[in-house]
Parts: sequence; C-alpha cells; structure tokens
Amino acid sequence: MRGFTHYISGLAAATFFPALVSDLRAGILIPVIVAAAAYFPDFVDFKFGKFFARRDYEIDPAPWDEKKHYAPKLVKISELSGKNRYQFFAVEGTVREVLSRGSGRVSYKVIDGEGNERLVSEEYRSIVFILSDGTGEITVEAFGDDYRFFEEEFGEIEEGKKLLVFGYVDVDEDGSLRLVVSDAPHPQGIAETIARAIEEAYREGERIVKIHNIRLPGDVYRRFTVHLDPPKREVRVKMGPIVTPGGVAIGGDVPEYRRYGIAKVDVPFIKTYPKPTRIDSFSGPEIAFRKAEFKGKTVVKDRFLPWHHGFSHSLTMGMIIGLVVFTFFRLIGYGHATELALASMIGQWLHVFEDQLGFMGSNLLPPLTKDVVPGFKLGESGSGLTNFSTAWLMIALMIWNFNRFTDPRPIPISDAKLLLLLIWPSIIGFGIAIARSFRLRREISELMDYYTNLDAFEELEEVGGI
Amino acid sequence: MLPLPDLLLWSLAGVLFGALISWIPGFHIFNIMALLVAVFGVGELMPVQAFPFFAIGAIVAYAYVSAISSVYFSVADESAVFLLFPTQRYLLLGRGHEAVLLYLIGAVAGTLILVVGALFIFPRVLPPIYQATSPYVTYFLVAIVVFMFMSEWPKEGDRGKTPFQRLWMAWRQILGGIFVFFLSGILGFIVMNTNLLPTTSAYTRLTPMFIGFFGMSWVILNILSNPPMLEQVPEDRVESSIYNTLKASFGGALGGTIAAVYPIITGGMGALVAGHMTSQRGDDAFIISQGVNRVIYYVGAFTLLFLPQLRLTRGAAAWLVSSIYTPKSYAEYLAAIGAILLSAGISFLFTYYLSKFIARSFNIVHIRKLSYVVAVTLVVISYLLTGPMGVVVLMVSTAIGMMAAAFNTRRSYCLGGLILPVLISMTGHTGEIMSLLGLR
Repeated sequence: MRGFTHYISGLAAATFFPALVSDLRAGILIPVIVAAAAYFPDFVDFKFGKFFARRDYEIDPAPWDEKKHYAPKLVKISELSGKNRYQFFAVEGTVREVLSRGSGRVSYKVIDGEGNERLVSEEYRSIVFILSDGTGEITVEAFGDDYRFFEEEFGEIEEGKKLLVFGYVDVDEDGSLRLVVSDAPHPQGIAETIARAIEEAYREGERIVKIHNIRLPGDVYRRFTVHLDPPKREVRVKMGPIVTPGGVAIGGDVPEYRRYGIAKVDVPFIKTYPKPTRIDSFSGPEIAFRKAEFKGKTVVKDRFLPWHHGFSHSLTMGMIIGLVVFTFFRLIGYGHATELALASMIGQWLHVFEDQLGFMGSNLLPPLTKDVVPGFKLGESGSGLTNFSTAWLMIALMIWNFNRFTDPRPIPISDAKLLLLLIWPSIIGFGIAIARSFRLRREISELMDYYTNLDAFEELEEVGGI
Repeated sequence: MLPLPDLLLWSLAGVLFGALISWIPGFHIFNIMALLVAVFGVGELMPVQAFPFFAIGAIVAYAYVSAISSVYFSVADESAVFLLFPTQRYLLLGRGHEAVLLYLIGAVAGTLILVVGALFIFPRVLPPIYQATSPYVTYFLVAIVVFMFMSEWPKEGDRGKTPFQRLWMAWRQILGGIFVFFLSGILGFIVMNTNLLPTTSAYTRLTPMFIGFFGMSWVILNILSNPPMLEQVPEDRVESSIYNTLKASFGGALGGTIAAVYPIITGGMGALVAGHMTSQRGDDAFIISQGVNRVIYYVGAFTLLFLPQLRLTRGAAAWLVSSIYTPKSYAEYLAAIGAILLSAGISFLFTYYLSKFIARSFNIVHIRKLSYVVAVTLVVISYLLTGPMGVVVLMVSTAIGMMAAAFNTRRSYCLGGLILPVLISMTGHTGEIMSLLGLR
C-alpha cells in the first residue's frame, strides 16, 4: 500500500479510543503520533534503511555529472578505463585524425517481445576518428542510426573540428578504449554484472546489487528493464525509451542493435516476482540474490529491495513502538498514555497487515520467525483501487467514531446505518479487488510455473546446456 | 437579490476581469480583487449584492486561465537544476498547448462535478459531515503537515560513496523543507500578530507574503534561468486515456473537495492527500487532476459561501466578499451555480484560444522581458496594498520561496506562513511564541 494509506489508517486507529477523541476535540494533538507510528515502517526503511544497506555491486550505467546531477558525465579521456565499459559519458575534444568512413550492410540479432531472437539486416554508414582532449586520445565510432544523428548534429567531421561527443565506452580486443556514439549506455554491462552477482551468490551465499537509474537533461529518464529468465539461465536487459518522471514515454527509443544486453548464468536461479524490474524515475532498485533451497535443489532466489519489509514491518516492532510510546508519554505526564500506546501499536500492525495484502510479505514475528511470510497477492502496492478502498474505509471509520463519541450526535442515525452509508464505496472497491486478484493469481501461477521450471532446465543441461 | 440581467452582467464583468489578468505569471485573483476593493471600493461602481457574482466570474476565470501562466510562463532553465513540473516538461517538449488542453479537460470535469455536487450532493451531505468532523480540523491539519514532512521523497542520496554521505544527501533536502516551513511560519506569525503592516490593510496583510512565496520567487527564477523559448505545436492533440481521465478527475475532485471544505488546507495539500489515496501516476493524469482540483478548490470553496444550510467562508475571496455582502437565499445559491456554468464556458473558450495564440507566437516576446514587467507590477501591488513594509515582507518571502527551489523541496512548504501561525493560534500558544520571539 502507498504511504498515505498506512498513515490514514493510523489516524483512524486513534479515533477508536474515546479518550483520544476527547483530547482531539479539546485541541490536544498528541494522537497524531498514532498516524506517525502507522507510517513509521516505511519512514525508517526509505529515510534511513536504504542508505545503510550493503551494496556488493553498484551498477551505474550512466554516472551523473557532479555539477548538473544528470547524465552524461563530462569526463577527460585520461579518466576512462576498461572498468567503464558500456557506461555512458560525454567527452569534449578535437578531431585529430579521421581513420575511416564506411558504408555497407550489417546483420545483427534482436529479441522480440517473447524473448525469441531474430536476425535483422540493414544498410549502414559509419565513421571512425581519433578524438583528443589534451589529457589523452580515444577512438570514436559512429554507426548506423547514431551516425545519422551525429552527422545532423555536427555536419561533416574533419580534422581540427571541436566536438562534444556522447556515447558508451567499449573495449577492443587489444584492450584499447573506444567511445561509441549513442544516446544511452549499452545494456550488456548491466546484464553481465547481474549474472556475475547471481553466480557469486550461488557460491558465497548472498550478493546485493544496486542498480542506478539513468537521469538525462530536462528531468527525464532513460527507462530500462531487467528480466531474469530462469529456464533459459539468462539475464536480459532491455534499454527502453526516454520517459518523464510521470512515466510518459516521449520517444527517444534506442536503435535495435544496442537495445538488448544478454548474459548467460552458470547456476540455477528462480525468480520470485513474475514481472521484469523496470527502472526509470525516482531511484533505482536494490536486488538481493540469495542461495536457497527450492524443491530439494540449491538455487539462487531474488529479493527486491532487501532492506524493505524487514524488522520494521513486523508485529514485534509494533509492540516495541507501543512500549516506547507508553514509556515516553507516561514520563511526560500525558493522561492517556496507555490508550495512545495501544493505538500506536495497532496503527503499526495495520501497516503490516495492509502490506501483507500485496506481494512482498513480511517477517511477521522476529526473532520467533526467521523468514518472510508471502503476501496474499490481493493487489500490487500501487493499485489505486485497493489504496482508495482502504483509505476511504479509514475516513469512514473516523467519521463514524467522531459521531458516536460525540453527545449529542451530529448525525442522528443509528451507528450501523451510518457505517453502512459511509463504507459502501470501500465494500465495492474491495469486492472488485478480490475478483481481480483471482485472475492475477492465475496469471502469476502460470508465470511461476515457467520461472521455476527446473525440470526443463535440467533436461537442457543433459543435452549440453543452453 | 439582483435582477437576473444585472446578475449576468456582473458575472460576465467578473469573467472578463479575471480572464484579462489571470494569464499573467505571479498574479493571483485574490490579490487583484483585494487591490480592486482597496483602491476603488465596492458600492459606488458596483452594487454590493453584485460583488459575489462578480467574484464568482473572476474566480472561475482564474481557475481556468491561470493554466496559461503555469504552462507557458514557468519554464525551468535548460540545466534543470530544479525538478520540473509536468507542465514544464510538456513545454520543453514543445507540447505546451497539449498541457493546457489536458488541464482544460480537468477543469471542465471539475466544473461538472462541482455543479452536480452543488445541486444534488452538497446541500444534503456536507452539513452533517461537516458538523461531525469540524471540531477535529486541527487534527487533520497537523496530520497533513506531519505527513508532508514524513513523506518527502529523497531525490538524492543514492550516489553517495558511503552510507553517511548518502544519508546526508537525502536528508539535506528534507531538512531544507523543514527549514523553509518554519522560516515561512515565523514570517507569517510576525505578519499576522504584529503591527508590522498597517492596520488599514486588514484584508490584505498576507498578500505581499504570498506574492513573494509563490509569485515573485517564480518570476525571479524565470529571470535568472533565462529559459529557452522553444517552438510550440499548436495542434489540438492530447495523449491520455478515458481511464486516466476518470481516475484523475476522481482524485482531483477528492483533493479539491477536502481543500474547499476544510480551512487552511490548500489545494496543493488536498492534491497530495488525494494523489496518495488514489495512487495517481502519469503526467497526463497529474495535469488533468490539477484542472479538476483547482476548479473545485477555488470555485467550490467560494460557492460554500452561498450554501444556505452551511454558509462557510473559505478562502481569501470569500472573506473579502463576505465583509461586504453575504448571499442569503437559496435563489442566490442557484444563481451562483448558473453563473459558474456560464463563466466556465467563457473561460474555457478564452483559455483555449489564448493558448493557441501563445503556442503560435511563443517565441516573439521572451519570458524574461515579461517577467521583468510582472516583477515591477508585483512590487507596486504590494506597495499599494500594504505600504513600504509590505515591500520588505515581499522581499523576505521571495527569498524564502527561492530557498524552497534551491533545496529542491516542495514549494508548498511555504504554506508554513499560513499554517504555523494558525496552528499556534488554534492551540492557544500565540502569547508564548510572541514572548519567545521578543515581540512583546
């Protein structure tokens, strides 16, 4: 659920205690603490937890320019090395020598929506030249669609011409660097790093990967998706269009020849969430790859945002919050510390319960329980329907409580009738959400059959691997 | 009640007045109405019973036509140091007219929702709900403020080299927001509780502060950033979906209604709450919901003044009008709804054609030049309404408004200028804070 849904649940929880309602009516605003307690798990995770989380691999496809806070970063040639392979940078320099201008026909493999490869053949033009910026020299190559863009931008490329070149770094067989003109990083680097992390997790136990997003000038983002395909033992990364923070694609698709990155993985792994991970605005995700047992086999399991839904999202934490609130407010002499503590604990528990309706689940009673209890899969955390239905229910409960704890009652009808009049939108909303969840569960089940198809995976191994 | 022809005439005069000034960046209809009352008075040129209808026309026009200034005259600089609003992104892509059309879709939806609500729902539902919840307004207000702080999304922090560096990068933005809120609050407290501004400016003492927070700081940023005047496509084309439009309309209506009914809760705060409640996503949905929200917030709040069973005074315009004449009959309420529909139709056409005109000639007058003229005008308005000290308040609040942009935090933290002093007053601590600040 979204943050406000949890928060408003806390606001509503406080109104079930007549003493707290009476305080609110008198202008004592301390019960707002209950809402803060209900939001606390997300607050702790997103404002503190994520910054302290371990990162074994940090994938930054397009490092930010330190002054402008967006990519590409303007670098000197001497700062680049083989470690920057596939990353997106900008270099400003002078054309020292044009090595070649070419044209011809090229064939390359692309992947369709189902993950199948097909061969594409097309005409191309290209240019290769040496760029110098005073700190070193680098070979620059512009090819195909990128050549057309490059020519439009700079006209004829001649020796002595000054240019600001954007592109990704590549490494030749002899170890020398090339800057390939492009408007995005190459996805291969992301795929290879994730594959390496999965393989290491299989041997070492756990690897956490932080994937940074790609922010471009004008507060827009290059979207890319990471898709783990267990039966094929592949990590596939697809570079997508430029999107606004609101998720609207505004064109800027990358050419097919640098749209996909595929890395093979040597070890078995399974995917616990059936959709590809999409990275665009806000911040990029962290994914933990953990060695685990699945159907009697050792595999690597993924966990999205490993720092999220941990101890902060447990019922145990709710008890601790209740205890802290009680102690603090009793010490400062607040008369209704017990009610406040109980309401705070219930508020936090409501958060845990509401999140349990989704996919991620939580470790509910640590240290008694050690692992996450899977969610009920009623809807995704961002679902407008479940968020609204829950938030509306909480508003309804608040109005209902305010009314029944006021004498004379401002709305002079029976409690049951008032409650029904107030909550019908939520009943309809939850009804639709439950009906939808059956379809969703069926789809997930089909996808999970595919993702966890270890038998098929083993057969492939017998005939020589993928 | 005025005869119908007079009533229509004054509503039309209001629309015309509102439309002519609402497209100018930094101008707010409430400030201009206050100026009108202060300079010309009401009762001589205009009958007192006509003023509510003149105001309704002007406010409807503002709710529609102000889309022009927020889309075309609020451009960020090329380096995009500050996060852009969706409308600014549309402008940078040459799709400013599309953004206006999206807004207009929302505004029309907002008007229809408002009219249907005013005719069939508000009179029956609002009074009992308001009766049951109004003693807890402070609770809601504090809750929204606390949520604003707690939910601020750290826009930086991911790329720090160490955990503490990441934490600091994230928290400097959050702390910046808190700083802006309290700084605005202190300024608001001083303006509201001292005789810094002349007592003759009773209805307009907050005007220079708000001009500074939201108008002047915006205009100065336009001047400093020297934005590119990119060619705009004047085509009538909108990329959205029926689903997004309905969802955005619902969210916008929810946020606008919360803000219209409850005091101090502004349209932005209502939108924040409703956006989270309905899990709203997408630039198109955001702009549509803004159209709905602003119409219901501005026009709906003012309409409550006409509702005989409730007669709530919400918003600066309602306070200004009610100080001169408060509508009393149900006939006036129905006439106000009619005036809203009429004004909305005219405002829609005015906004649409003005947007087409501006899209075609966008790069003729540079926004920087226009901003200089507006900046001078805003100073003159502040001086006329509140004297030389008003100009000082304007300068201080402008600096605070620009701080919010520099810290990359929500501009709405400047609402601390209103929220904090009101909260202090509601909880009965004004005297203590006055002593603490050495103001008595």
